[in-house]
Amino acid sequence: MDQTNQQQRSEADRSTIERATSGEYKYGFTSDIDTDLIPAGLNEDVVRLISHKKGEPEWLLDFRLKAFRHWLTLTPPTWAHLDIPPIDFQTISYYAAPKKKEGPKSLDEIDPQLIDTFNRLGIPLEEQKALSGMAVDAVLDSVSVKTTHRERLAELGIVFCSFSEAVREYPDLVRKYLGKVVSYRDNFYAALNSAVFSDGSFVYIPKGVRCPMELSTYFRINSAGTGQFERTLIVADDEAYVSYLEGCTAPMRDENQLHAAIVEIIVEERAEVKYSTVQNWYAGDARGRGGVYNFVTKRGLCRGDYSKLSWTQVETGSAITWKYPSCILAGEGSVGEFYSVAVTNNRQQADTGTKMIHTGSNTRSTIVSKGISAGHSQNSYRGLVKVAHAAEGVRNYTQCDSLLLSDTCGAHTFPVIDVANNSAVVEHEATTSKISEDQIFYCNQRGIPTEEAVALIVNGYAKEVMNKLPMEFAVEAQKLLAITLEGSVG
Amino acid sequence: MEELLKVENLRAGIDGKEILRGINLTVRPGEVHAIMGPNGSGKSTLSGVLAGDPRFTVNGGTATFHGVDLLSLAPEDRSHEGLFLSFQYPVEIPGVTMVNFMRAAINAKRKYFGEQPMSAADFLKMMRQKRAVVELDNKLASRSVNEGFSGGEKKRNEIFQMAVLEPRLSILDETDSGLDIDALRIVAGGVNKLKTSQNATIVITHYQRLLDYIKPDYVHILYKGRIVHTGGPELALELEEKGYDWIKQEADNEQ
Amino acid sequence: MNSDSNAFTQYLQLRGKDSAAATGVLDTLNSRAADALAAIASHPDSDIFAPDYGVNLGHLPMQADLATSFRCGVPQLNSLLAVVANDVFYPTENLHRNAPEGLYAGSIRTIPEQFADDAASMLETGISDSDAPALVNSLLLHDGVYIRVEKGVEVEKPVQIVNILNSDIPLLTPRRVLIHAMPGSRIRVLLCDHSQTPATAHLNSQIVQVKVEADASVELYDIEESSAATTRYWQLFAEQADGSHLTVNTCYLTGGKTVNTYRISCGNNTDTSLSGLVIASGTENVSNRVDLRHTGTGATSKQLFKSALFDKSRGTFKGNIYVAEGAARTDASQSCRNLLASADARMVSEPQLEIYCDDVKCSHGATTGQLDERALFYMQTRGVPVEEARNMLTQAFMADVIDNISFEVLRQRMHMLVEKRLSGATADCSSCAACHAQSTE
Repeated sequence: MDQTNQQQRSEADRSTIERATSGEYKYGFTSDIDTDLIPAGLNEDVVRLISHKKGEPEWLLDFRLKAFRHWLTLTPPTWAHLDIPPIDFQTISYYAAPKKKEGPKSLDEIDPQLIDTFNRLGIPLEEQKALSGMAVDAVLDSVSVKTTHRERLAELGIVFCSFSEAVREYPDLVRKYLGKVVSYRDNFYAALNSAVFSDGSFVYIPKGVRCPMELSTYFRINSAGTGQFERTLIVADDEAYVSYLEGCTAPMRDENQLHAAIVEIIVEERAEVKYSTVQNWYAGDARGRGGVYNFVTKRGLCRGDYSKLSWTQVETGSAITWKYPSCILAGEGSVGEFYSVAVTNNRQQADTGTKMIHTGSNTRSTIVSKGISAGHSQNSYRGLVKVAHAAEGVRNYTQCDSLLLSDTCGAHTFPVIDVANNSAVVEHEATTSKISEDQIFYCNQRGIPTEEAVALIVNGYAKEVMNKLPMEFAVEAQKLLAITLEGSVG
Repeated sequence: MEELLKVENLRAGIDGKEILRGINLTVRPGEVHAIMGPNGSGKSTLSGVLAGDPRFTVNGGTATFHGVDLLSLAPEDRSHEGLFLSFQYPVEIPGVTMVNFMRAAINAKRKYFGEQPMSAADFLKMMRQKRAVVELDNKLASRSVNEGFSGGEKKRNEIFQMAVLEPRLSILDETDSGLDIDALRIVAGGVNKLKTSQNATIVITHYQRLLDYIKPDYVHILYKGRIVHTGGPELALELEEKGYDWIKQEADNEQ
Repeated sequence: MNSDSNAFTQYLQLRGKDSAAATGVLDTLNSRAADALAAIASHPDSDIFAPDYGVNLGHLPMQADLATSFRCGVPQLNSLLAVVANDVFYPTENLHRNAPEGLYAGSIRTIPEQFADDAASMLETGISDSDAPALVNSLLLHDGVYIRVEKGVEVEKPVQIVNILNSDIPLLTPRRVLIHAMPGSRIRVLLCDHSQTPATAHLNSQIVQVKVEADASVELYDIEESSAATTRYWQLFAEQADGSHLTVNTCYLTGGKTVNTYRISCGNNTDTSLSGLVIASGTENVSNRVDLRHTGTGATSKQLFKSALFDKSRGTFKGNIYVAEGAARTDASQSCRNLLASADARMVSEPQLEIYCDDVKCSHGATTGQLDERALFYMQTRGVPVEEARNMLTQAFMADVIDNISFEVLRQRMHMLVEKRLSGATADCSSCAACHAQSTE
């Protein structure tokens, strides 16, 4: 890390402590934006309506309908270590979009209230003000409202646009890759998403191109009674590179809101994709009222030889998280990584982890998971490392730590390690412990109050993962850690 | 005099990269050869290839060991035929005691030559005698192979095994690395005690220091996978004084 | 394969409404199990129970002299020996004569009046109404062993129970061992499993129920050396009272398909050591499933499981450490190490932690890999042939599991048995070393 970075980081540390004494969920406002909302309920007509509103081609409607019909045959998964209240899928509205006549041609045509919403989230949509080195796609409720830096990226042949636009402008690419990594048959929520997904981001990096800036999508649920079902599709062609960031927030509401997204990534020969998430959906209040149900299917296929996919996630929000960003390592010598910090407080529940499916020879994977539980929360790591019979010379290392900050929370570890090739070396280690009283006392003795000491220690504990995040996100993620854990140590 | 080891035009490498590019070396009984050279010149590759380390691939050339085609033998058969490698980094083998390890080695060798296994009493007696050569603590012998041994203990343990197996040719790979002066003296003393007119030693080292204790008859300088210089003990002293740069220049100019 | 419900209900039908063979406490157990079993729709292990096994409803003995012809082969083990032939208990003269004061070891069938209530309650220990495999055992059980050590009594000699399968018809043999160690007592129990009719496909259903009272100590060792046709379904249910100590060690040497389950609940300040060794070859399939539950405070538990898998064998380890809310100062560790020694072997590990208390130190580690190539080469350079080097390294890999065996004679014997197993000695029971040493030495 260079010196400025270090400096910025230590400033972030300081502001973490400042935040720790004052913050609450600061993204909990709602915006009064004129919204096109379809009535609650889900049936084939709704699926057709969504497709119609988006002016989709026939093949995409077919895809949705197949998914919907398959979804009807499924029941929600119950194997996770989660207590999920029954969800009535007929009470949710499956489409909410800011009203507009035509797609905005310039920023002037966008509802100023909406620009204000994103500015309050710290997501600048005005390109001249945008953070240098970051292109943003902003998704409000179900629809992508603005993608920045398009022209500059286009010069390099990079496609970065909303999913709907991609369907219109690059139908062949979308059709070629949609559902190839996460089939609509994959699971209950994947089927649901495939039927009703409204928008999302599409990224294509052509052969040999290194994307010169971070690509970022910012998701925001705004309307009441809606679900958010976005889809992200990233394709990195041979020897391409991209770093992609995803952030999310939602207003504070007493009801639960459903977010069921799909992320599909295809990494071709010697290409590399780095996918970072800071998940900060509204987590509900201290008594567990409200909050987002975050049921997400994320998976990448390292199809090309020597390709690489790296997932980094900082999970602090959501009432319930059910999420396993995974890698299928098919290409010879391909590499998968998963770095995760999951923090739960109050009545939050998280069941998250990864799958590393090694089908190619000489593939390698690394898993580092840091769970932090406080309050009455339940935090589980669930993982699969699978080495196929034909995959020679596979290596995996998994480190999975849990930190407990209260005597009423839970920290759990459920890995499965399935090895069917005798040249593989697979190692898994896990520890669970409480925050060290010695460390806190040591900090106290040096004049650091307990709350700050906890923030310091937790940030240190999570550092290995935080360091994997791009700078802009690392700062925010550190603040989030402290805010989430606020009041967790008495 | 007959040749104990004759290496001709030996070429070998690792992971497709050629490291030895045509080694020629002849060792006769009673001789001590020192092989010196800068880091990365191929010294450890040479010892590994002669001992049959599966990490290396032989790309060409021959190595004849008292008339036997060395390169066609499994590592254990090279050992039976009388080749001993003292490892630069002796391997730790948790759970296998030194006693069991040496008994397996001795009896495998006897079996190779059609002999009966050694009786337990004879074996223990021999172990006792050989330990004395390198002043190896009895306690080390009952522990797992090299596990938890200090650097000096590991190297002494190597020479102890050499004493037990009575090789015809010993290759000491950087045996002096990581040794303090007392340990160095004990190890070198062990090697000298085991020296006869019938066996030979190849000492691989980076520094002259060990050669103060184990006097070489020949000194070879290995550089970029070839022996670029051969001389008497004085060559080692010259290297100590002048470093490797002149050798490198000389060799690079020739190319 | 039969559908789920048939796999279990076939035994309900086989047994009929009332069995004449069982007596007293067993009769009650049988009918309670029948009711519970009838309500079970499915169970993940139903396929194991699906084949059409015969059952010994009439409590028929094996040839009388067969059982008594066994003598323990662990030299100088000097155990208190009993034999279970198929599913019938045979005390030996040795057991009768040498059982010290304060030790009772005998058949549940003929249990003395004063122990009947205890046995009846122990027979239900740990078995839930959804545990179909255990309920099948309870349904068909007509004999078993009850071992009781009175307060403060330390039994010097280990009690050894040799389980023998001998039948030309495939049998499901329900077996049961109850061990009740009263406060401050100490006992060691060794169980050995063998098949004398290796070609016959038996299903050996065994349940071991252990109650370790306050400050008592129980050590339980189990060796399986049966045949490729044998299926074993072994279930341990143990309850530890405050300050007690429990050691459980299972060694799988040969068999066909084996499922070992361990459910242990720990009280306050208890100490638990659980270890297992698996050497499997051919198409052997061995599962170890652990559910270790910490509900008391200040308890320590250690788990160590190691498998070496050859040929097309398959291993599974599923181990959970559960720490309840309030189980402060728990120190629990679990280690699962596996060697895949052939291209077609497969290992599935599921080490799990389920923790509801913050003041704990819990860890698990799982590795699957191969022998250290550097160590192999090092040994070869010393003249050890590669196959022998592999065996030595595999043996060394297993050494720490065997070293968990506290009594030396058995420990040495296990080292020897493992060495023999690795060097390719057959699993033929007629040359079995644990119980037939007299014929080989």
